[in-house]
Amino acid sequence: MSTTERTGAEHLPPDPARWREVQDSADFAELRRRLRRFVFPMTGLFLVWYLVYVLLADYAHGFMSTRLFGNINIALVLGLLQFVSTFVITMLYVRYANRRIDPQAEKIRAQIEGADK
Amino acid sequence: MGGTAVELNLWAVSGIALVAVMTFYVGFRSSRAASTTQDFLVARRTVRSRRNAAAVSGEYLSAASFLGVAGLILKDGVDALWYPIGFTAGYLALMLFVAAPLRRSGAYTLPDFVEARLGSSGLRKLATFFVIFIGVLYLLPQLQAAGLVLSRIMPVPQWVGPVIVIVVVVVNVFGGGMRAITVVQAFQYWLKLFAIAAPTFVLCAIFIGRGGAGTDTTALTADAPPTFAETTTVRVETPVRLQVKEPVWLWADGRVNGAPASGDVFWRPEVGEVTVDAGTTLRFNAGSAVPVVAGAPADNESWAKPSSGGAGDLFTTYSLIFATFLGTMGLPHVLVRFYTNPDGKAARRTTLHIMLLLALFYMFPLLLGALSRIYVPELLVTGRTDAAVTTLPVKVIPGIPGEILSAVTAAGAFAAFLSTSSGLVVSVSGVLSTDVLRGRVRDFRWAALIAGIVPLALALVLRPNDVSLSIGVTFALAASTFCPVLLLGIWWRKLTWVGAGAGMIVGGGLVIAAIALDVVSRYTGDWAPSFVKQPALITVPIAFFVVYIVSKATHRRQPGDTSRTLLRMHAPDPLGFIRDRDVARFGTAEERARLADGRHRR
Repeated sequence: MSTTERTGAEHLPPDPARWREVQDSADFAELRRRLRRFVFPMTGLFLVWYLVYVLLADYAHGFMSTRLFGNINIALVLGLLQFVSTFVITMLYVRYANRRIDPQAEKIRAQIEGADK
Repeated sequence: MGGTAVELNLWAVSGIALVAVMTFYVGFRSSRAASTTQDFLVARRTVRSRRNAAAVSGEYLSAASFLGVAGLILKDGVDALWYPIGFTAGYLALMLFVAAPLRRSGAYTLPDFVEARLGSSGLRKLATFFVIFIGVLYLLPQLQAAGLVLSRIMPVPQWVGPVIVIVVVVVNVFGGGMRAITVVQAFQYWLKLFAIAAPTFVLCAIFIGRGGAGTDTTALTADAPPTFAETTTVRVETPVRLQVKEPVWLWADGRVNGAPASGDVFWRPEVGEVTVDAGTTLRFNAGSAVPVVAGAPADNESWAKPSSGGAGDLFTTYSLIFATFLGTMGLPHVLVRFYTNPDGKAARRTTLHIMLLLALFYMFPLLLGALSRIYVPELLVTGRTDAAVTTLPVKVIPGIPGEILSAVTAAGAFAAFLSTSSGLVVSVSGVLSTDVLRGRVRDFRWAALIAGIVPLALALVLRPNDVSLSIGVTFALAASTFCPVLLLGIWWRKLTWVGAGAGMIVGGGLVIAAIALDVVSRYTGDWAPSFVKQPALITVPIAFFVVYIVSKATHRRQPGDTSRTLLRMHAPDPLGFIRDRDVARFGTAEERARLADGRHRR
């Protein structure tokens, strides 16, 4: 790192043309595609599961108050599953990101830095 | 609460004193090295993910989580489960959409992000305004809850609690800023977990040891109101409307239904609702049914079932889910923590840990809320259910052991006020010092002072209401202002500063109008419809829509470096390739050594 008196903006490599090139590259498109392919369907699934639970709670009383054992009814079990599912999705995402997104990102960085040197 | 004057609970007072002293100690011990602006704001990005997760959770578990959730479970039953679920799920949305790209953008406050992405300093000012507004709004319930807890364990007026919290927080921030706060917050999480878990275990053990609730109380799923386990005196401090479902004999002194009452009274179910004025004392006999405050499920069966109020309830629940799910990412004290992760991978790992820690914590208030329904039903009469966690131990275990447990919960509650308030004060003063003042260490300290005193003044003036409910509105505000800008800013290249600004003004304006309407309605007979109390389901889509339409209409205003910014956010982490914005701003260590005065440069 140089210690000359320069402002941070000038440090920012590389030039705009290079940025655009990377932006348009197939690798970058692939990176974004991988991210979208996981994030958007998962969000949809997650929201539907939440909203359906509330709908059931409001309009399917009979089903929701079915007793499974003791005082535990279906509503309670599904409610706790909301917690569990939130957590499961988080774990899935972390795994997916580590396996599929990070390697692709590393690849792009290697390309740019390689070209820059 | 019992009607007798508050006695000094020495155990609880010493517990709180201990929490305050420990907070000071941990803060100061770790703050000696912190001296540069960078140290104060982003803790040099060296905080490990597990500790960072504990710190985020510690900061996040506020009065609403510690006291409010149990209180809402006591009052509203299964429906209140949405608060802890939403509080946790908000992190999922944050991680999926925002955490890693935002960290890579190198902008570490919301105004920074807005300016970096859209290149408008006017928009930056607007974002600054909302960050400060949300921070202050979020601080209010913390301070008011501190007043509530303190005035119940020692004979002091309500204002003492807020003042103590602000003094501790501001002094601590003066000492060490963010780095110190990270350690303090991590410490606070474990403290809070202990403070809520230990009493829960003891109380549950006693509950099971006694063979359940006993025969003189109503089972938690029975089609009947809860009952008083013993003769109970209730002093009504704010006017309440009560639902009478079972005939009740009681002794009253004060004003009931607008007429003076003194002596024995009989309430028949036929009257439906009874209004009790402030200053009235009610005494119920053991075994009599509890008249529950209006608006909450009156009998245990509907308490144990999810919402059954039709479309209105459905709207409120969806609205709450929307607000918490999308609002978390717009909370200033949450976002700033993610910059202390060394890279995007660590940011994700942190999120996972956070969710584990939060889920672990929330199990306990749920259990305490259910136990409160059996042991402290008198809180249902006054509606002050936020006191459930601190009142429960004394009621279940009489004598010193109960007082000690109660002291543990009070100390935990104080830890909650302290940690959330410090997080908020740090992030609000961070924004204040870099945007309004000049961004030097000295300015940061001035900003911390301002960020503490303004909410303190407001907390003393405004009337307290349910801790969790006002938190819900804060989430709604964050979801209607920053969420659209963040999501579209990261994922949609056609966003313009005009669109973002319009969305923030319209979304934020609508929520602020709803808050104002609600406050007015509270003082004039509670006439506001339910969507005013929880407006997110309406305001968030409107905000998104406005951002979209206005951006489309002003597509010429798209910033020229959009591609570059987007690539930077979605491409890999900055290791020489993309320079951190804070490094660009504050310089490297060597550069800083040369500029001895430590002023930051743009």
